[in-house]
Amino acid sequence: MKITPVKLWRRQAKVSSQIGKKGKIIAWTTIRIPSKEFTSQAPYPVIIVALESKEKMTLQLVDWGMENLKIGQEIITVLRRLYTEDGGDGIIHYVIKCKPL
Amino acid sequence: MKIHVLGAATTKFGELWDTSPRTLAKEAMDGALKQSGIRSSQTDALFVGNMLAGILGNQANIASLFAEELGEQIPAFRLEGACASGGLALHNAINSLKAGVYKTVMVLGVEKMTDHNSDDVTTALMSAGSDEERMAGATFPGLYALMARAYMQEYGATEEILASVSVKNHFHGSFNPKAQFKSIITVGDVMRSGKIADPLKLLDCSPISDGAAAVVITSDTSLAKRIAKPIFITASEVATDTLSLYDRKSFTTLASVVTASQKAYKSIGINSQDIDVAEVHDCFSIAEAMAVEDLGFSKKGQGAKDISENKYTLGKGKIISNPSGGLKSCGHPVGATGIKQIVEITEQLRGEAGKKQVKGAKIGLTHNVGGTGTVAVVHILER
Amino acid sequence: MSGIIGYGLYIPKYRIETAEIAKMWQKDPMEIFTGLKVRQKSIHGIDEDTVTISIEAGKRAISMAGIKASVLQAVYIGSESHPYAVNPTSTTVAEYLGVGNDYFAADLEFACKAGTAGMQVLVGLLSAGEIDYGLVIGADAAQGKPHDALEYTAASAGAAYILGKKKAEIIADILCMSSFSSDTPDFWRREGQRYPSHFGRFTGEPAYFAHVVAEGKKLLSQSKLTAKDFDYCVFHMPNGKFPRVAGKKLGFTPEQLAPSLTVDSIGNPYSASSLVGLGAVLDIAKPNQKIFFISYGSGAGSDGFVFETTKNILTKRKKSISFTEETENTVKISYQQYLKQTHSI
Repeated sequence: MKITPVKLWRRQAKVSSQIGKKGKIIAWTTIRIPSKEFTSQAPYPVIIVALESKEKMTLQLVDWGMENLKIGQEIITVLRRLYTEDGGDGIIHYVIKCKPL
Repeated sequence: MKIHVLGAATTKFGELWDTSPRTLAKEAMDGALKQSGIRSSQTDALFVGNMLAGILGNQANIASLFAEELGEQIPAFRLEGACASGGLALHNAINSLKAGVYKTVMVLGVEKMTDHNSDDVTTALMSAGSDEERMAGATFPGLYALMARAYMQEYGATEEILASVSVKNHFHGSFNPKAQFKSIITVGDVMRSGKIADPLKLLDCSPISDGAAAVVITSDTSLAKRIAKPIFITASEVATDTLSLYDRKSFTTLASVVTASQKAYKSIGINSQDIDVAEVHDCFSIAEAMAVEDLGFSKKGQGAKDISENKYTLGKGKIISNPSGGLKSCGHPVGATGIKQIVEITEQLRGEAGKKQVKGAKIGLTHNVGGTGTVAVVHILER
Repeated sequence: MSGIIGYGLYIPKYRIETAEIAKMWQKDPMEIFTGLKVRQKSIHGIDEDTVTISIEAGKRAISMAGIKASVLQAVYIGSESHPYAVNPTSTTVAEYLGVGNDYFAADLEFACKAGTAGMQVLVGLLSAGEIDYGLVIGADAAQGKPHDALEYTAASAGAAYILGKKKAEIIADILCMSSFSSDTPDFWRREGQRYPSHFGRFTGEPAYFAHVVAEGKKLLSQSKLTAKDFDYCVFHMPNGKFPRVAGKKLGFTPEQLAPSLTVDSIGNPYSASSLVGLGAVLDIAKPNQKIFFISYGSGAGSDGFVFETTKNILTKRKKSISFTEETENTVKISYQQYLKQTHSI
């Protein structure tokens, strides 16, 4: 997807307030054939979480083990790099992901 | 006013290396014109359904491009709703007839996907989702896998039961000379195929395909009189839902499908059980399981099970689903699918479907979905 | 007087054992351990970097300090692995922490003492009355060249400290500080180079020890105290050996040094190293205890501080995650996984 500095900048206030929120997994899958920019990260889980605030989000699950892939698993949101490839001359994009609690 | 289908034709679907978007479109449109008994100059407008020409091929402005291919300088429009682009093109064409603006129009669905490597296609298909879903690293199979997980959790369906969708569709596809895959497969084959996004495996997923389909529709009864077996499009409904899957109330129902189909049945005073044959949007096996429920054919939660018990299989079931082989076996050139479904139902209702004929089919339905149910288009055809 | 009002540590959960690295290069693991006294090192996740690590540590410091992020008036981040050569880590971190727009900010580099240099800047601003609260973070997602000695120790972590002036908020007063600086080319990284270079044994006596001992003696003299007057000592930990030798040279006992030796379980997270060690000591210190602290940054220099804990440390510590808790649940990774996560393959 196209990341531009302006899009990143515009989203910052919202993203900032979403860090460190707790929730539970309500659906999960493991992506084995990813989109292009995620190749180095695959396989990785993508989950739908229901936060304590009742808001729902689709997020990548990081720092995970097989035992965390279950409906009801507690998670907390974190800020991580969107892409993990080094180098390049573009802006670094940070997004909300989540990790098991 | 009645909407008549004058001509309906598709190209083969598959990895058609020698074809280009132009040659595919020309073949489909020529076929539809021939069947309709009219010349291209008798069409008032062209409606095109296509999703990826801009994203993958860097080509915008394609409605005019295909009008040029048709050989006319008529009004031309491109409709896009991800995988429902074809259905949306037809819906808008029908609206233009109902409004009296045009009388006879060509509707084309076309997609050329194999010019690009699968990485790029996977990324491009995610344009049907939201920024948030893309940033989470989701892929299209991933989003439907989330639905499959929820469905399995809620209704106790197993991966084997879901696999029966692909088995049925390959069985049907084996009778379709235009299908991309004509091979018979078993549940075991599906279970052994490579994982794409757990629990969906390669054979749970529709393929990347090239292809085109076209129909000529008219409100002009004098043109319609010349057709031996008249077929009418009696209902055409569209409904939308949230862009992101996570914003939905339920992950096991596509509300847009329920709404569109209910509106369609109501508009002509029938109910779901009156349908004899349906072409549904099985982009993934789970999609057809939910479709037969959301369309009102099966009880909620029973869809996958009913399919696995041959309730929708040619020669065994009551309402036959995807006699063409569906998206899985016939292929899924994204923008073309919605129109191919119309072509199939037209042939079914005319009794010209060959080995895949549903005997005595009188009322048919097409179900075309974009994104994870962001948009649903339902058409009903009768003879 | 300025002091620490809160701190936060973040250690990524992945560990690679030095034995696993030794196996790759067919070296004897025991020989490596004897030489470096490091068993394993912490490694960042594939999508973590100095910014994300700093945010985690920063959030914890803010929570412990019991302040709103918006009262922070200065943010300094010291690292050897700032994600950009030009584009400040400090403002990205400040933005995601919710600091607002009214703050002094800069990124610092001084090898492993970039974070403590930032702490000195904050003391300056606080003493001058320019700010009431400031945040400093030492964080690194370190890289060691494969097959190089540093590969066994270069680790990842972040330590954040919030400084203030209100007596009721301070958990450790800063009694005095000084630095010893020189131009000593023991360890460096050229622009565009992925891994740092170093000059072997030159990094020992003329570099680390020369500066740590010189600053140590200066600090003792400045504070008019002797080693015996302190309860704890903390030194920069490039490996398990150097801080132990430094402590001995300056007259400290192994018992005074032991609680700070986080290198034993996480390796050397560069700009976070001495600050993580300090955090481990603050985790267990009682009120009114003195801590002797000397960092070291190649190039070279040492920053010295004398801290004295207050009674406030007992209540505020209840709100923090200690080093022990933070390093409880770890995941051991293979050498291949380590290469993947550090973007080497």
